[in-house]
Amino acid sequence: MILTIFFFFLIPILNGSLIAHLLWPERKGSALLLKFSLGIGMGLGINSILYFLALNIAPKQINVLAVEVVLFVTLGIIVFLRERNQKWERRRFLSLSRIQWGLIIVGLIASAMLVLIFVDQSIAQPQAGIDAWSIWNRAARFISRDPENWRATLSPDLYWHDHADYPLLVPLNVAWGWQMIGSENVRVPMMVGAFFVLASIGMMFATVALTRTIGQASLATLVLMGTPLFVWAGAGQVADVPVMYFIFASSALMFLALTQQNSAFLILSGFMAGLAGWTKNEGLLLIVACVVALIVVNLKELFRSLKFFLAGLAIPLTMILYFKSIAPPSDLFTGSSALVQILDISRYWMIFGALGRQLLTFGYWPFSIFIGLAFYALLMQIHWETYFDKGLQAMASTILLQSLGYFLIFLLTPHELIWQLNTSLYRLILQLYPSELFLFFSVVSEPEKVFKPT
Amino acid sequence: MRLNLKKIFLALLVLAGFFSVVQSWLSTLNLNQGGAAIDAWEARLMPAKKALPIKRGVIGYVGEWDAPGISYAYWDQESEYLLAQYSLAPLILKKGAVEEWNVAVLSEPAFAAWQKANQGKFEIIPLKHNVYLFHRLANP
Repeated sequence: MILTIFFFFLIPILNGSLIAHLLWPERKGSALLLKFSLGIGMGLGINSILYFLALNIAPKQINVLAVEVVLFVTLGIIVFLRERNQKWERRRFLSLSRIQWGLIIVGLIASAMLVLIFVDQSIAQPQAGIDAWSIWNRAARFISRDPENWRATLSPDLYWHDHADYPLLVPLNVAWGWQMIGSENVRVPMMVGAFFVLASIGMMFATVALTRTIGQASLATLVLMGTPLFVWAGAGQVADVPVMYFIFASSALMFLALTQQNSAFLILSGFMAGLAGWTKNEGLLLIVACVVALIVVNLKELFRSLKFFLAGLAIPLTMILYFKSIAPPSDLFTGSSALVQILDISRYWMIFGALGRQLLTFGYWPFSIFIGLAFYALLMQIHWETYFDKGLQAMASTILLQSLGYFLIFLLTPHELIWQLNTSLYRLILQLYPSELFLFFSVVSEPEKVFKPT
Repeated sequence: MRLNLKKIFLALLVLAGFFSVVQSWLSTLNLNQGGAAIDAWEARLMPAKKALPIKRGVIGYVGEWDAPGISYAYWDQESEYLLAQYSLAPLILKKGAVEEWNVAVLSEPAFAAWQKANQGKFEIIPLKHNVYLFHRLANP
């Protein structure tokens, strides 16, 4: 059954990878890994959009799998015609240094263990955590059990904790998977969760390897994998891992676009930002943060960069706008007395206090990973010249603006602030965590320099 | 000296990352987080789902919070309500006996208290394991 589910999802994933390859025909090993990692998110994003359109146009009558297969054949032919006369670079793994091999091997063992953690966690809790079944898989059940009446999942009569306003990328993929295999098998949402965990790991390795070194990429990936919360949240099937992946993808692609002067990355960045908004409401904030970051950092070429970013954003944004026009309002924006809360100094203290505690305990590390990395940076040295790098500035601005948005949400939430902080702050930090790690390992000296033969 | 310190710190970071993965793997061995409880809850509500004459639309959900004078654990009731919604999808569950058809999960004292307060207003269809259907009477 697991293989059957995998093969159904493989077609959309390959479609995503082929689209990424058509836009960015780089053939390096790390570039191919990046395209496959991007393909997972893009493929599942496109699949959810197609299924959403099918539900709206003619539920139960349009075969999304057939559309995916046609798309795959078309993309495959285009890529084949373009690639048949190209020379592929042969990777020389043996040219890696001993420190690089060492880090890669440690990383591979860690990733094998990560698979075991994911499996153990999934067996222990097949229906996953409360948010998974009450929000995401509940919505998937509404869609798969009654496709003709799928809009019931957006009913304002649903209890606020069911979050009828939450976007549908994850539930649509789960419902589609159930439809494909003909039953509500718990392995479908597990696999969707696993795809995003693996894609995040692959993207971390590939982006850092492309921009820095293999050793630095292995180290960044090891720190990500070593964060227990990352895999637990992934196996817990909450949408924070998919939105984390899309935030990372969008900001890393913006970084690549600005450092390599390649507009294709901006198109992909816009598309990924749109898919972030199509996954979770925090992704809507990302769209705004990316646009503002582009305006601030790339003012001289603003029109050009915005044009490509918005071109990528267009399709998912259209879906989001339509979805929001039929979905009920968010529980975060109902009945709060904004001005009173903004003027309440105690709320600021509470938020900063909770943030401070998270900085010390985030991710279930046995020590504070943020303080540990700060010490590491002090000792290993930071490349200050990168401060002037537009790509890094854009990524840092995006993270900063996104964090500011989260801060405002806590300030304005109509729910009890302590409850809101306890239940969501660690997940919001997780959403930005890979982007922060990428930024960190982009400016810190790489391991190869430490072990450079003198 | 500084170079050696860098090597040590780098090794520490690698070891910390690796042992953190090992540690979280060990902590997930023989883990039991109550996955079976959700399946049991779904099985408990299955007769109600089958007995309901409507398969889509809004129904009411009666929990212990609706029984006057009965003390209850808020989060237990909240979780049961969410679980009931998850189990009975695509039916939409509203809190309270507010619809024509209502599903109830009540302990015996809570059921007695609720019945006393709503005498003659509903047709009561008892199912297994403290699950009931309450059908609002047109002319009570």
